[in-house]
Amino acid sequence: MAANTEPVAADAATPASGWIEERTQGRALAAALLHVRIPAEARTLYFGGIALFLFGIQVATGTLLALYYKPTPDAAYDSVLFMMSDVSFGWLIRSVHHWAANLMILFVVLHLLRVFFQAAYKYPRELTWVIGIGLLGITMVFGFTGYLLPWDQRAYWATVVGTEIAGSVPLIGDQLLLLLRGGVDVTEATLSRFFGLHVLVLPLVLGGLLAVHLTLVHQLGLANPKRPDPRGRPPEGKTVPFFPNYVLDELIAWYILLALLVVLASLFPAGLEAQANPLETPPHTKPEWYFLGVYELLKLVPRIVGILAPIGGLFLLTVLPFLDRNPEVLARRRKLAVGTATVVLVAGIALTVRGFSS
Amino acid sequence: MDGHASPIRVLRLLAAACLPAAALLIALGGGASAADPTPSTSAATPSTSAAPVIGVAPSASPEASPIPAPPVPTPIPHPADGGTNQCVECHRAVNDRQAAIATAWEGSIHAKGGVTCADCHGGDPTSDRMGIAMDRTKGFVGRPSREQTIGMCGSCHADPERMRSYNLPTDQYAKYWTSVHGQRLAAAKDVRVAICIDCHGSHDIKKASDPTAPVFPLNVPQLCAGCHADADRMKPYGIPTDQFDIYSRSVHGVALLEEADTRAPSCASCHGSHDAKPPRATEVVEVCGKCHTATQELYLQSRHAELKDAAPKCWTCHGTHDVAKPSEKLFFHPQPPDYQCTTCHDLQARTLRIQLDRFANEADRRCDTCHHPDSDIYAQVEAIAGALSEAQGAYDAAGGRIGEAAGMGMIVGDADVTLSEAKTSLIKAQAAVHTTKLTVIAQTAGDAQKKAGDAQAIAQARLDESFFRREAMIVVVAVIVANVAALWLMRRRLDRRSAVEAGDAPGTPGDAPGTPGDAPGGE
Amino acid sequence: MGPDAQPNAKPAVSRRRVLRWLLGFSVISTAAMVVTPMVGFIVPPKSTAAGSGGKVPAGKVADLPLGKGKVVPMGSKPVILVSTEQGIVAHSAICTHLGCIVAFDDLSGMIVCPCHDGRFNPATGAVVSGPPPAPLPHVTVSVEGDDIFLVPG
Repeated sequence: MAANTEPVAADAATPASGWIEERTQGRALAAALLHVRIPAEARTLYFGGIALFLFGIQVATGTLLALYYKPTPDAAYDSVLFMMSDVSFGWLIRSVHHWAANLMILFVVLHLLRVFFQAAYKYPRELTWVIGIGLLGITMVFGFTGYLLPWDQRAYWATVVGTEIAGSVPLIGDQLLLLLRGGVDVTEATLSRFFGLHVLVLPLVLGGLLAVHLTLVHQLGLANPKRPDPRGRPPEGKTVPFFPNYVLDELIAWYILLALLVVLASLFPAGLEAQANPLETPPHTKPEWYFLGVYELLKLVPRIVGILAPIGGLFLLTVLPFLDRNPEVLARRRKLAVGTATVVLVAGIALTVRGFSS
Repeated sequence: MDGHASPIRVLRLLAAACLPAAALLIALGGGASAADPTPSTSAATPSTSAAPVIGVAPSASPEASPIPAPPVPTPIPHPADGGTNQCVECHRAVNDRQAAIATAWEGSIHAKGGVTCADCHGGDPTSDRMGIAMDRTKGFVGRPSREQTIGMCGSCHADPERMRSYNLPTDQYAKYWTSVHGQRLAAAKDVRVAICIDCHGSHDIKKASDPTAPVFPLNVPQLCAGCHADADRMKPYGIPTDQFDIYSRSVHGVALLEEADTRAPSCASCHGSHDAKPPRATEVVEVCGKCHTATQELYLQSRHAELKDAAPKCWTCHGTHDVAKPSEKLFFHPQPPDYQCTTCHDLQARTLRIQLDRFANEADRRCDTCHHPDSDIYAQVEAIAGALSEAQGAYDAAGGRIGEAAGMGMIVGDADVTLSEAKTSLIKAQAAVHTTKLTVIAQTAGDAQKKAGDAQAIAQARLDESFFRREAMIVVVAVIVANVAALWLMRRRLDRRSAVEAGDAPGTPGDAPGTPGDAPGGE
Repeated sequence: MGPDAQPNAKPAVSRRRVLRWLLGFSVISTAAMVVTPMVGFIVPPKSTAAGSGGKVPAGKVADLPLGKGKVVPMGSKPVILVSTEQGIVAHSAICTHLGCIVAFDDLSGMIVCPCHDGRFNPATGAVVSGPPPAPLPHVTVSVEGDDIFLVPG
């Protein structure tokens, strides 16, 4: 299905909108963006849209947090404490940022799984998939860098443990560790570069990749999970309008997510442990949940295997559309791909659960 | 209780009357029992036990006339070995036992300091011929007798010139003869008492700071118990053997033996080591105050301390070997006890006194053992207990509230600090009980209560804030639900409309250019 | 367009009005919900405890004569400032024994815990005597002119 634009009746409803329309020609653009059709069988489960919504929340709350946050070891902890205890709604903004970060990773992963099981990464959407993997990676780096910023014991030691995982990458591990920490240990140098990455580099990169990802989605339309896109001609089948039908559904999903965020932030506000103390390792130091699987794997298998397996897995995942030449989209005709993915998924969940309970 | 106590006291008075200091002791009225609160099993035994026992049972007046220490002997003369110790060469080859002795000596601090076999055993270490090396006519001693040993150790260790370079004290010899061990050895030639080597070892002597040394603080209770917990060995002396058991369950024993806290007191901390002897009533406040400095200072301000000989001392309320963590239960018996005038009054002399036997039982170490419910002081004790319990209650309540707020995910650092201020005052108030002054205690306790109240108010504010957040959350979620409902209504309308359209044109190909009906009309 | 077959124009209009009202409610309530916390957050709070670059003012040098000490708050934590020969130093005022708040004792010139007479060296925070198991943690002091600042961290 190619992107279908609809003819727009350019009659100005009010003088004001007419004034704007004359100076922007925006209606044609809006029509081109919104008035497309999507296959009636498409079931996106709104995961991608929710991830986009959460990214928006992160940009908004993150910008607000940056107004008070001070990225030095001396001041970071106190500035966060100050925000939580003295700034009105500080607890809410920080807790929403905290929960939206976790949910964003969750929904990006769910989005990836949905695309995988519906075989939406196949022709002609290979590039969209590759960029999507990049977005997942950046989201996780976002989480990793952001976790250190409150500079409390949990943040500090999770970063120590997390960077150690990176340090065990063969050949370049030591250099990578030095690069990540900005020195041998987790210090103010680490905090500075994590802060810079978190608020400058990553948002720009994520924003850029996201623009390409969304443009590709718009250009190629949504995949039909029931039949593959035919080569060289537009896809067939019943379609439904993207706007307002699908957009309304997505909006409802966003509202539900907003409610979820408010509930999580209110009932389980983001905590703050004692200030980071490099001389005192707290018991049960663990990385964040999305790295727990890898962390647990490292304990179970030889280090080299534990570190190469996730890297190799990520590489295979990236080049998946080029490896998987099977044109079929229905799960029952893709037994190998679906079976392998299910095993990997179950193993990943099992490792993560094991990590939680250990 | 009185049934056993009186005949014993009569016996004691009789014994005391035989002594030149009889008049003084009678005036003290049971001064002997005040001298040591150890359960009085010992009191009856001297008459029944073996004849040579004197001056050991603490209740028999040990003050009479301490036997002076014998003069320090000179070291055993022997030819200089010139760095070769022939004794070791031969004895190592004799048998395993002799070889083990040689090895033990080689690892000892004496070997490092150049103290060799001949220094204790005499003889000629330069010769490999038994007849010459071990010639008794030339001063070979062989194994020194137990009595001899003390002087032999003292011959070096009591010599300041010799000890200077090791920075060791030289008073152990003199002190030893003042100890119960030494006095008994001197008086009764009882060689079963502890001598130097029983505690320090002989061939394998180690520094006291060496954690493997038997005299290292953590090892001292076991070392003393080696003899003192041995019922057979202690039988002739008629002293109890359960001190180690009792001690190891006390706060002191737990701190030292279980937590390995070397600052906690071992036997030697209160009894002394070389001068080992039970502390006397006149000494106990100083002995405990050695560590419990602040408490001692408070106690000395008290009415109790003014009573001098009749004063309740540390052990009256806290016991001796069985010191436990103090609590408010130390104020009163759960039921009024069986009051006896003689516990606190000398009826004949019409003076106050304290009968320590009564306090051997932990359950009787209470204020109301002496202070009768009808007395004014009883009311004051009640007021003290009440003030402390209110402060403690306020502190606990504040702690609970802070925990509640923290459990809600609220930040309570400032409340914690205020609570630790309350704790400071509470501990001060509890310690102030030693002053027995209601005004002092009530003031500090009131301070603690006020600060605990402040902490609780902060925690309550956080809790209120948390409840407010939850209420606000409900409102926000309700608004979102309303929004979702509105959007859902719109969505349903759209569906209905497209269903109608589908009805209009069934089988419309999917890729047909936008149906005009989909234009979002006037919405 | 009004392709609905069953209802006539009137209910359609009223339904449209309801929908429009709903949409308005939705937009306004959402805006209120989102904007309120944001504006509240941006408005700076009255207390400016964390407003001096992490440094906390702790009085004037002139108020702390040589050989004296006093307990001052650093944020919510008590800190003991002592003026020594080597300059002004600071330690955490929370006793390492049971968490009581220590004080400066003018008589002995030491830091003393009122609870169990734990004594600390005023210059180093090391335990001199008593039950505390560990020294008082050091707090960084910066003296700028006549002003004393504490540096948390």
